[in-house]
Amino acid sequence: MKFNALGFDRLLRISGVLAILGLAVEAYTLLWFHPLSFVAFALVGGLLIVVGIAVYLLSLLSFLKSSK
Amino acid sequence: MSGPVVILFVLIGLAILLIALFAFRPSVTTTPTRKILDFAALFILPSVCLAMGFQVHMERSKQTQFCISCHAMTPWGQSLYVDDLHHLAATHFQNHLVPHSQACFTCHTTYTIFGDAQAKLSGLKHIYMQYIAGPPKVIRISSPYNNRECLHCHSGMRVFEEGPVHAAMMDQFKSNSISCLSSGCHDVVHNTSGLAKEKLWRPGQP
Repeated sequence: MKFNALGFDRLLRISGVLAILGLAVEAYTLLWFHPLSFVAFALVGGLLIVVGIAVYLLSLLSFLKSSK
Repeated sequence: MSGPVVILFVLIGLAILLIALFAFRPSVTTTPTRKILDFAALFILPSVCLAMGFQVHMERSKQTQFCISCHAMTPWGQSLYVDDLHHLAATHFQNHLVPHSQACFTCHTTYTIFGDAQAKLSGLKHIYMQYIAGPPKVIRISSPYNNRECLHCHSGMRVFEEGPVHAAMMDQFKSNSISCLSSGCHDVVHNTSGLAKEKLWRPGQP
């Protein structure tokens, strides 16, 4: 399946969900004073945010390509 | 809660709100404006939150309470309160020669360009040992203590540099050929094995 076949709005929603989940994990780790909080922030929250941003940027690129 | 953490919470809240608004209700903005707002909500704000979050976590991991929050480190935390000023860590802690809130980090970071990052990487190794491999029976410092860390503060101190023993051996200290922690010098650092026999200092009590 092509990436842009999912549609821009749908990809936006997917990246939004990932980013919101990542930000929620980040907020939780800021309240959790524990040695594992940094690991959770970096490996779970950070990863979700980065993947969310990447999906958004890729959807933007595929949208620009298809609109040419 | 410190100022940067409060700001970060506000930014996280704002980012979640905007992402929810633009990603799930795209009809709220017109097309050209929407692209810019989408970009701000889905790229700029999460990136800023991520960078700030990393910085907040890095600063937090410098705190004494953070270092001794692992059970295996409890004796090292207690050693800061030994009521005997021949104990190097205790005398630094109790006389505010190191900040109370960052007592461990001040002496155990490396004062080099990437010292903070190196300290954090070794911190990840500690997390692995705490939760996966299990802490070793005898906990030792991972590499010989470098005089550079002592000299970072003591270099230039009149009382240190004009002391006859220190002055005579300054070159050896700087080249690391003699350790500050050598036998007969400052060789009692944490001494956790003898902690049970030591009287502990209680702040505010004579």
